[in-house]
Amino acid sequence: MLSLLVLGAFPLLFIIAAALSESSLGRPFQEWVGADNITRAIADTDVVASLVRSSVYAAGVTVVSVTLGVAVAVALHRTVGAGSVVRTLLLLPLITPPVVVGIVWKLIFNPSGGLLDTVTRFFGYSGPPLSLLSSTDWALPAIAIADVWEWTPLVTLLVFAALLGMDPEVREAAALDGAHGIRLFAHVTLPAIRGVIGAVFFIRLVIAFKAFDLIVLMTSGGPGQSTTTPSYLIYQAALQQFDVGRAAAITLLFALVVTLVTIPVAVITRRLQQ
Amino acid sequence: MSRSPRPATWTALTFAAVGALALSACTSPASGETGAGDEELTVLLISSHEGASQWLKDEYEKKTGVSINPVIVPYDEIGAKLSLDQQSGANTIDVAAPWYVSIGDLAADGSIQDLSEWIESDDEIDTEDFIPDIYDPYTLVAGKRYGLPFDGDTHVLFYNKEILERNGFTEPPATWDEYVAQAKAITENESANGVYGAAVFGQKSPLILGASFANRLAGFGGEFVGADGKPSINSPEAIAAAESLRDISEHALPTPAETAFGEGNAAWFNGKVAFIENWTDLGVGSQDPNTGSLVADKWGVVTLPVGDASVESRASLVAGFTWVIAGNTDKTELAKDFIKWASSSEVNEALLTSLPPTGIDPNRVSSLESDSYGEQYPELQEVNRATLSGALAWPTGENAGQAAQVLVDELAKYLAGDGTAKETLDRVQSEWEELLG
Repeated sequence: MLSLLVLGAFPLLFIIAAALSESSLGRPFQEWVGADNITRAIADTDVVASLVRSSVYAAGVTVVSVTLGVAVAVALHRTVGAGSVVRTLLLLPLITPPVVVGIVWKLIFNPSGGLLDTVTRFFGYSGPPLSLLSSTDWALPAIAIADVWEWTPLVTLLVFAALLGMDPEVREAAALDGAHGIRLFAHVTLPAIRGVIGAVFFIRLVIAFKAFDLIVLMTSGGPGQSTTTPSYLIYQAALQQFDVGRAAAITLLFALVVTLVTIPVAVITRRLQQ
Repeated sequence: MSRSPRPATWTALTFAAVGALALSACTSPASGETGAGDEELTVLLISSHEGASQWLKDEYEKKTGVSINPVIVPYDEIGAKLSLDQQSGANTIDVAAPWYVSIGDLAADGSIQDLSEWIESDDEIDTEDFIPDIYDPYTLVAGKRYGLPFDGDTHVLFYNKEILERNGFTEPPATWDEYVAQAKAITENESANGVYGAAVFGQKSPLILGASFANRLAGFGGEFVGADGKPSINSPEAIAAAESLRDISEHALPTPAETAFGEGNAAWFNGKVAFIENWTDLGVGSQDPNTGSLVADKWGVVTLPVGDASVESRASLVAGFTWVIAGNTDKTELAKDFIKWASSSEVNEALLTSLPPTGIDPNRVSSLESDSYGEQYPELQEVNRATLSGALAWPTGENAGQAAQVLVDELAKYLAGDGTAKETLDRVQSEWEELLG
């Protein structure tokens, strides 16, 4: 009970109190201002845009990560015993520190001699340098690629563990009855692991909502505001502008959006598990 | 027959990996060093001042026997680090050198000490010698002095002589229009070989994109805040400055939005850009073989261009750092002694010419005009004299940091193609009026 209070209730109450007060980094709770911080945040088009952007981003990278992760896990399961090196290599992104992931992908997308630039020129491209991270259209997808690369192995790992937990006799019986390939996966494997996939989808969605380190390292929220997420705005407000009241107000709005998006996923996951 | 791993093993590994990830998310950065005995000071500095911190540590210990523990943080985290250190009660920091724009917010939070009486009463500080255009913006908030200037930090325009010669330019640009024209021509002629007209700091940070804008604002004769103390960020001069910044972005090293100090300086040292707006200490680094510079003896430097050839160039105090004393330190007297020494003329003069480069620019008239600086870097001395007459400073005081961020966020949107310069700066003006009054 005490740990629940310390880990859950205290931070929540602190954030709510900060959101309802004029609070700076050095002097929290200077004056109660009611809902001023919250109404200002709602009226701020940058905040609203970041909430929408973050929701779309989280949904997109989650769908891609889970699809890829399940596909890789199934492929690994088929080669189980023969691909230990491959399995170890697949975990590499997962154990790479996020800071390194951001720096590596920034170098890959570097328009002056980065890997993408070099490869495209090797294949005959001769136009202006490809600058994904400075394009308002492509910067967020470029970060999403790095995000998917970093976190898909987690999906693979969890789904692979579920596949190993399946009773092999069920698959063997289905195979004897003539089920192979996609039919075997769709009618036997998928129903057996759908609960795990649902749970993994939920975890991946929450991780995607929290995207911060890649954004700081790769774009600093730019160009313009095109990669600015609520997490980045909260960081800016609290630690660069010392405005903890505004940061707390954005945090509350963000928590509300994350809750609204994740509740249906949690409900579906529970049904899949049943 | 090969054996597959047991499901239980994989499940255990899975949970171990997930647990490790969860734990890694919960870990906090290592706290700084703790100030131990009376003869020890913990000094918070930004990473650009790491070289200076080593020099200061060695020399101060040699002079007094007092140990200095430098704590180095990224340039945009020093204010938050100091404030959190004081507010949390950790109180590990005794002295810091934050960006001068953050002094107002740090003072309002009680994170730094009011040093007015001490500075006024101690003649040895010799405040008359500080460069006047630096002294007040760097230390004065609402009539109170909160520190002493450390790093002057004004931008000037460096140019690569070889690239200009190759492209038929005999003189560096005097106006921002000439600068754009020359950069455009060079990029058109040489970008196929990886050489560009200019490196433009455009990453979305007040010390980066904000600096590029401030340079142009100074050149077009604008001000952040008018004589009446009210924001004037949507003036015709400011609009011209923003438009000039967007004009050069098309012809700069790809791409300004991704260009911070590291990217821009690397391109300069490798001889890949003709122009770079930078702090005067870049000249020291350009001559230092240890930086890997390929442009030693191939560069020149002039004061920043202007909007109109009839206008005199102005310095822009884009960065600049101030020695302050932490609000809760119990070593105030020792801290005073340290910052008095560290901001003295002899120390500033030594830091200006020290190798490896310390990243420090003049903060005093005497060090700026010193023989050692003039003999080793006569061109830098000359351009730095621009700080002696009417430099442009950022707004200071409470909310100044937030105001700078608002400007930079809106400029970033404008440079990304969102709206006109006037619409952009009108929005900034409106927010500044609320923040700065």
